[in-house]
Amino acid sequence: MGEIKFFMDPIKTEIVVVGAGPGGYAAAFYAADLGKKVVLIERDKVLGGVCLNRGCIPSKALLYATHQIVNARESAHRGIAFAEPKVELEKLRHWKNSILAKLTGGVSTLAKMRGVQVIPGRGYFEGSQKLRVETDQGQQFIEYDKAILAVGSLPAMPKAFDLGNPRVMTSTEALEVPDVPESLLVVGGGYIGMELGFVYAALGSKVVVVEALENILAGADQDLARPVVANAKKTFKEIRLKAKVSKMTTAGNQIKVAMEYNGQKLEELYDRVLVAVGRVPNGADLGLENTKIQLDERGFVKTNEQRLTDDPNIYAIGDIAGGILLAHKAHKEARIAVEAICGGKAGFDSVIPAVVFTDPELAWCGLTETEAKEKGVPYEVAKFPWTASGRALSFDRTDGVTKIIADPDTNRVLGVGICGAGAGELIAEAVLAIEMGATVEDIAETIHAHPTLSETVMEAADAFYGHATHIFTRKKEEPAKA
Amino acid sequence: MDVKLPKLGEGADSGVVVNIFVKEGDTVANGQPIIELENEKAVASIPSTAAGKVEKIFVKNGDRISIGQRLIAVAGEGQPAAASAPAPKAAATKKPAKPAQEPEAEEVEEDAPEEEGEVVNPSPVASPSIRRMARELEIDLRQIRGSEAGGRIVIADVRNYIKRLMAAAARAGRGKGAAPAKSAAEQINFAQWGPVVKRPLTPLREVISRRMLESWTSVVRVTQFDEADCSRLNELRKQFGAAYEAKGAKLTLTPLILKAVAITLKKYPIFNASLDEVANEIVVKEYFHLGIAVDTDQGLMVPVIRDVDRKSILDLARELEQLAAKARDRKISAEEMKGGTFTISNQGAIGGGHFTPVVNKPEVAILGLGRGAMKPVVRGDKIEARMMTPLALSYDHRVIDGGSAARFMVDLVAALQEFKEGDVKI
Repeated sequence: MGEIKFFMDPIKTEIVVVGAGPGGYAAAFYAADLGKKVVLIERDKVLGGVCLNRGCIPSKALLYATHQIVNARESAHRGIAFAEPKVELEKLRHWKNSILAKLTGGVSTLAKMRGVQVIPGRGYFEGSQKLRVETDQGQQFIEYDKAILAVGSLPAMPKAFDLGNPRVMTSTEALEVPDVPESLLVVGGGYIGMELGFVYAALGSKVVVVEALENILAGADQDLARPVVANAKKTFKEIRLKAKVSKMTTAGNQIKVAMEYNGQKLEELYDRVLVAVGRVPNGADLGLENTKIQLDERGFVKTNEQRLTDDPNIYAIGDIAGGILLAHKAHKEARIAVEAICGGKAGFDSVIPAVVFTDPELAWCGLTETEAKEKGVPYEVAKFPWTASGRALSFDRTDGVTKIIADPDTNRVLGVGICGAGAGELIAEAVLAIEMGATVEDIAETIHAHPTLSETVMEAADAFYGHATHIFTRKKEEPAKA
Repeated sequence: MDVKLPKLGEGADSGVVVNIFVKEGDTVANGQPIIELENEKAVASIPSTAAGKVEKIFVKNGDRISIGQRLIAVAGEGQPAAASAPAPKAAATKKPAKPAQEPEAEEVEEDAPEEEGEVVNPSPVASPSIRRMARELEIDLRQIRGSEAGGRIVIADVRNYIKRLMAAAARAGRGKGAAPAKSAAEQINFAQWGPVVKRPLTPLREVISRRMLESWTSVVRVTQFDEADCSRLNELRKQFGAAYEAKGAKLTLTPLILKAVAITLKKYPIFNASLDEVANEIVVKEYFHLGIAVDTDQGLMVPVIRDVDRKSILDLARELEQLAAKARDRKISAEEMKGGTFTISNQGAIGGGHFTPVVNKPEVAILGLGRGAMKPVVRGDKIEARMMTPLALSYDHRVIDGGSAARFMVDLVAALQEFKEGDVKI
């Protein structure tokens, strides 16, 4: 085929998806599966977006790999001791990158098999139904019926910290593990800062986390975050709450950081700084002003329940559409937007689980106790501490708790929070329970395999009624059972 | 505690309040009638389900109310006994033990049907598949009460809701069916030609109108005419009238006709059938429940006498009298007007000759009788004066053929003319 002709004629397609992250490629694939002609635009060389390349997957790979250091060390008291580990960063990076290559390659293959045309390049909206793509070979225009905007977000880098010095990193650079700094300052005690803090701490860095708020992992109930905080306090050099970093400057091979903490002004030197203060939408340089798309005050694209923007031909999903910036939210939105385009009546009404891959993991879904209090929702809580779990004891991680928040009248499960090893896997049951409108009794009545951590969900449900087998909960008001 | 409108019987889920027997401040006993409700073809009095002082009345005359709706609030001795056992609240609400949840479940059942469009469940709980279905069908789950634990809406709840919507749509559709004609024809101001009196359609008249239209538009009606010599029946009636009176029953021609019809129906079961238009089946009923059209001040009612073939003339005479009285007093229940397999409309008491009765759907045939009159009849080679009664058998030609109708009529006439004395004798 004539390459020139290819670039001269605009491509006509039913759906164009801009951005090939977990939202974008899911949307493209689903639309193709439903018989639509789909073009997928990605500005990166590889597909998969932040999730596969600079987020979820590489961070989990690093967390797993570095956790072995901790495991080996902790094994000694169980009578199996290992020698000090030898860390080969080059090899670690290579292994991590090989995973990314497998996954992104997989996404490309899947696109090909579905007949999704992938065009590498930067998309720019010329109008409501016309996209210009800047490719390596030149411009390509695409005329489409509907577009799905899935361009994601990027780590926020406040101007005051943006020294142009590679020692001040965002998660993107930190995931490359350029070296193991002796001292690492993590600015921001959210999930990204905490997860990467654990990676670097395991590798041997002295990690200091500073958080402007009163708590780390502010979105989670603090009773659930407690085991994470306890372990972080042991693992990190220090956690500073209500601390504010005011200034950073380059000081030779180090970064000089000025902060206010505990009423004091501190100036300290760090080998590296990780700025993890949130993520901002990738809304710039997209030509959105040529469409009817409206942005909110933080720059996220406004959408309705079906993720349709103010432009009747453009949908927006994933991080760019705001809300909780999680890949699985993007994935669900992809489904909804595609269904809406195909004439369906889908709408977003799902429970979104949140998982923090710290050590131990922290996961929750539905209503949190904090939210219930804020909104004045009546609720009752039942908890099961992992110290009473045989499974937790058998792998030496009793630092966990499983918590159920339920409606006092109907006993319907409103929210579940789990902290402990593998909490990210355990939360799935809770999400299903909430989606199905299960009551606490439904969970209590369901047999959970022994010995597994899933039993903690059942026992928390039992505890709700005051008769968990492995803990004793005396209910003040409850009379003796007849 | 609130007294709510209980279930009224199958298919009847609402009615119009026509009478309120209590006022605020009154003391009511459990079971005491508190309101009168007109619905379909009956007026029923609704008893209180609690005893005590009437604190508040939530309904007024003319209100259309449906099952589960609050009627009155009662305070005092009426409180359920359970309250005397002071169970701690937490324990009571959190008891997983099934027994504790039973009363709750009953309550849910009681007030199940909702008015369409009404939010009864502000924060509905349903599985993702149910929510998806609701979206696709554009059903607002907030209008559905969940029947499962924790108020969860399951497929059965949605199904019931859809059924109700369909029933409501059908009701509305019937109204609309007539609407184009109505809107096409301008509303006529009859008062321009002279004084008029306007009356709203009563619920009963609405039902009659709807059912007649339904029959008229779907049944292929043919009417077969004949005359029966009822001289003998009349003699039998005179002969045994006194004996029946002694037993407190009035022997009219109708129980005799009922019997003769039942005998003929047994010979021609197709007249005792219904057409199931959904399953495309003819359903032949092996019971013989005969409807009797009763003329009342409010309009036509059709109480049903069950198992006519198995009852004595005396029983039929008694039952007939009771049902007719109940219908005229509008004390008859909807149940007592259901399940008929064939209808008899006897205008003999009023007068008139042949007429063309409308088949009472889902039945397939109806017998209309006019006033018996003495007529000259050739018997053998003599002309005799005989009491001749006009008979008109309307039937649904979709189900019954003309030949069958003629045969039915011949046998019915024979059954009337040759009525067994033994059947009447007591």
